[in-house]
Amino acid sequence: MAYSGGRSDVTTLAAPKTSFFRRHAMFIVVVVVAVAFPFLVGLLDGQSPADVIASEGGNSKFLMGLAIEVFILAIFALSYDLLLGITGLLSFGHQMFFAVGAYGTGIMLQSFEWSLFATLIGVIVAGVLQALLFGVVLPRVQGITFALVTLGIASMFWIVIQSPELGDWTGADVGLQGTSAFVPEWINTNDHRYRFYLLALVVLVFFYLLYRRIVESPTGAVLVANRENEDRALMLGYNTFWFKLFALLVSSITAALAGMLWAMHQPIVTPTVASLGWMVAVLLMVLIGGIGTLSGAIVGAAVYRLLSYYLERWFGGGASLMLGVAYVLLVLFVPYGIVGTWRLKKFQITDGRKRLVAMLTNRGSGG
Amino acid sequence: MTTTTATKPPRATGTSRWLKQNRGRLALAAFFAFVVFSALFTMDTNDWLITIIRGLAVGAITFLVASGLSLIFGLMDVLSLAHGEFYMLGAYVGWTIYVRPDTFLDILTPVALVLSALALLPLWRHVASRWPRGKWPRIITPIVVGLAGLAIVLFVFAKFPLSIWDLEVYTDTPINNAVALDQGVQEVPPPAGFDGISPLVGIISIWLGGALLGLGIAGGVERKAEVTAPLAGRSTYVIAATVAILGLVVYTVNDPLTDWWYALGTTPRFFFALGITVVLGFGLGAFVEVVFIRPLYDRLLYQLMMTLGLGFIIIEVVRSVWGRPAFTMPKPAAFNGTGEGCPGEGLGGLFSGCSTIKIFDSRVRLYNEVFIILVGIIVLVGINLIIKRTRLGMIIRAGVQDSEMVEALGINVRRVFTVTFGMGVALASLGGVIAAPAVGLSPGMGATVLLLALIAMAIGGLTSFSGAAVGAVVVGVMQQFMIKFGSVGIPVPWMEEPFKPSPVLVPASVILLMIVVLLVLPHGLFGREE
Amino acid sequence: MSVLLDVRDINTYIGQFHILEGVSFEVPEGEIVALLGRNGAGKTTTLKSILGLAPPRTGDVVFEGKDLRGLHSFDVAAKGIGYVPENRAIFGALSVEENLRIAERSKGDLDRKSELIFGLFPDLKRLINLPGTNLSGGQQQMLAVARALVPDNRLLLIDEPSEGLAPVLIEQMMDAIMQLSDETTVLIVEQNFIVASRLAQHYVIIEEGTSVVSGDMEDLVNDDDTIRKYLGAA
Repeated sequence: MAYSGGRSDVTTLAAPKTSFFRRHAMFIVVVVVAVAFPFLVGLLDGQSPADVIASEGGNSKFLMGLAIEVFILAIFALSYDLLLGITGLLSFGHQMFFAVGAYGTGIMLQSFEWSLFATLIGVIVAGVLQALLFGVVLPRVQGITFALVTLGIASMFWIVIQSPELGDWTGADVGLQGTSAFVPEWINTNDHRYRFYLLALVVLVFFYLLYRRIVESPTGAVLVANRENEDRALMLGYNTFWFKLFALLVSSITAALAGMLWAMHQPIVTPTVASLGWMVAVLLMVLIGGIGTLSGAIVGAAVYRLLSYYLERWFGGGASLMLGVAYVLLVLFVPYGIVGTWRLKKFQITDGRKRLVAMLTNRGSGG
Repeated sequence: MTTTTATKPPRATGTSRWLKQNRGRLALAAFFAFVVFSALFTMDTNDWLITIIRGLAVGAITFLVASGLSLIFGLMDVLSLAHGEFYMLGAYVGWTIYVRPDTFLDILTPVALVLSALALLPLWRHVASRWPRGKWPRIITPIVVGLAGLAIVLFVFAKFPLSIWDLEVYTDTPINNAVALDQGVQEVPPPAGFDGISPLVGIISIWLGGALLGLGIAGGVERKAEVTAPLAGRSTYVIAATVAILGLVVYTVNDPLTDWWYALGTTPRFFFALGITVVLGFGLGAFVEVVFIRPLYDRLLYQLMMTLGLGFIIIEVVRSVWGRPAFTMPKPAAFNGTGEGCPGEGLGGLFSGCSTIKIFDSRVRLYNEVFIILVGIIVLVGINLIIKRTRLGMIIRAGVQDSEMVEALGINVRRVFTVTFGMGVALASLGGVIAAPAVGLSPGMGATVLLLALIAMAIGGLTSFSGAAVGAVVVGVMQQFMIKFGSVGIPVPWMEEPFKPSPVLVPASVILLMIVVLLVLPHGLFGREE
Repeated sequence: MSVLLDVRDINTYIGQFHILEGVSFEVPEGEIVALLGRNGAGKTTTLKSILGLAPPRTGDVVFEGKDLRGLHSFDVAAKGIGYVPENRAIFGALSVEENLRIAERSKGDLDRKSELIFGLFPDLKRLINLPGTNLSGGQQQMLAVARALVPDNRLLLIDEPSEGLAPVLIEQMMDAIMQLSDETTVLIVEQNFIVASRLAQHYVIIEEGTSVVSGDMEDLVNDDDTIRKYLGAA
């Protein structure tokens, strides 16, 4: 059984075929703003652009750090949206994909003392392996049972990562500290934050465009078909297993790379990133933005991270409760997520306008 | 859920066919039996017996949670991931009624008043559905009205006389309250009074606040309605009135009632707490289903997210009301005796009031092992009877197969969903109250149990009620054996020292068990093809 | 003869697919009406729209003078409409007796109707305690129709009553339906034109989601052109 969150409309509502720039105007604006953002903050703070690039302490550096977290979470959320929103594969083990990247990076950089490049290769390989691990059980279990198996595998990983026996490598239940110090100085988040900021942004943009390309390709069409009605896709002759495996591979590598960036940026990698709580977080991000919309994943990640940050600043202890209430309200009242609802309304507006025009000119389309 | 009823070929006689069809199940059963019986050779027979009994007890608690989960999932396709937290909430509420009945009685009055106003929801829905269409009447007004109602309720509630523990004062924390009861030195806490408003004002305003809240909720529910909701039946008014009167009566007799309650022994107190918590659990479950789950009908993923969110909220509420530190719930006197004549012997020991009894030369705790297992069995039999012998049970069984057809027969399936969800939460709450004296209370207790319950369900078959029982037993026994092996060790041929799994490995091994079972039998032991 | 069911220009969507694009017809009281048409024309969706399982987006369904718009399917069924779906939807986990009992709307319905039901389908009496899954396809079909007879239904919606049945059973089913129609109005969807023509007094042809032709069955039987045009080869 594939989950489609109820309505399939929002992903398949493609914009009309105009030029690349018009179609992606919003996106380009966002990227430009993101590139300029740290300098704008710096200016408000009295820092010159040179200060910002030199990673001087201050509001700009701090907000860049927050933004980097948003970018990383956005990459993570994108990877899950591909799996759940596009392919319809419900997995409760996605946190493991991320955690393997994060812990893997920590271990490779610190314990093995590999170079950054070797670590990158290592993380990608790990991503492939874990996708294969989940893929192997695919033919046996479907739907919610698959979700439970993935939950089981990820939970076991979470338990193992905290075991005292592996403590030297993983930091057991405290977590793995200091990986960011092992990152070469030229791209280190503490020494050259703006560079790292751009790196994270570039990776996000890369994956977003890659995913868009996949979704708009024939392969993407089969993935959506699998989400809508797997039996029908099978009957049409598509071996859905390979397509699901493909989605798992891409998704896993993406999430692992997000984990790698996380380990490079954060002072400590805690077991939280392997926990069910992390899974819930990414599910929430995707839902807030709108399942299957891709850009929704980015919006959702931003909303999630910024909301939890500001709620904590304003309410301290009560923040968790408020966050929980916010979730519940969002799930109840924003059914298609932010981007999803926006697209639906836009469609209704253009559809309505078309019908109005047709009525007035008596061309009689529809009705 | 719709299934096409395939016609099965007539059952061929011959054990060979049966063997072939059930080879997965037989393999798993054989594996399980192997593990259990080979353990006999690695440990003392008494230890082995105790481990099995403990496993059954853990299984009983797991079953209470898993049974609710499987009923809800089977009928409504909703995996209630909040169920662990309902279990936890049951434990905490049960503890409150048991250790601080004065708090319970104090809260009962305002809560009853608000519930009475909310019970008139059918009336509010009728009113709300008559509001004109449009954004202002249908969307903005309910939000404003509802929030106003909620604000009034919360504000007045704080002013009500409420005698409660103080997390900041050590001598008044739940930990201390529990210890005081255990040692028999608990005193009746001083009664509280209304804070700054007169009783009449407080009572009326909280009821009105509840009414506004109900109106707001009704507006939300009816915002897309095309037809006027039916006028509330007589039973609605009767229920609302009864609940309000209950609240008022409790208010009037609060002091003498509290004194009487405190004078009761721990055993009657315990059973009162049990009964009341189960009823409250049912009510909470029904409320949650109508308000949070039903609006998301047909959007399974969102229902799932909703249960996760609710579970999260419940943990936060518990943490802020009862505090983060773990504390205990003293066992009732009937299960806690020491001294002369204890430990009890054999079956007569069941009524000896001793805390342990001797069976086959081993000492078994009367509460943790015997009572809990007994409750598990009673619930198993009871629910089975309901499902197999009542009309409700028949509708549930039919609904699990094809809820759309049940609806086409003229049966209000949605109401059955509400009742089933209520039952599920009631069972989880029961599990919590029963478990609390044995394992104590902590905000994390729900997550542990939920994991076990999910594994039990997966092993037994997600939609099978009896499967949940079998799965729970398997999980409980396996878990206890792994813990036992942690101290005794498993002799492995190629290792000199027996292998002792660290405590960390215990949950990992149970999860591994689930994965193995699911890979061999994707639908669990008793699940049906979906 | 009064009109029991009046379907007025209904448009039904399933997801984003526009299945019914304006279906209208009337069902006179006490008669048998057949919905005819090719595969995928929308006949089953029409039945579901009447019952509320696939509520129409526009248009009206009026039953006994009352508008069924906006009602949940259980409210619609409770007004006296019985449904026998194409896949029978027998509850395999329930016994034959339970399958019948669950259809009761007032206590004792089954006892009052048992003479009628077992008179029409004597086999069911023999199978009364067996679980639904043990029944053969034909027996399940009979059980599905019998189930619709338990409460007092004024209208029966039957989807493909003869499908998958051996000829001898088809005869039995047709007898049963004809006997039923003495007391109840019946709307059947039937691909098998021979069965439809022998049972129904009126017909409505659905083609690509629209009702195109309707009239008396005795006229249609001689109208080879219409038959070939809308129902494929006769």
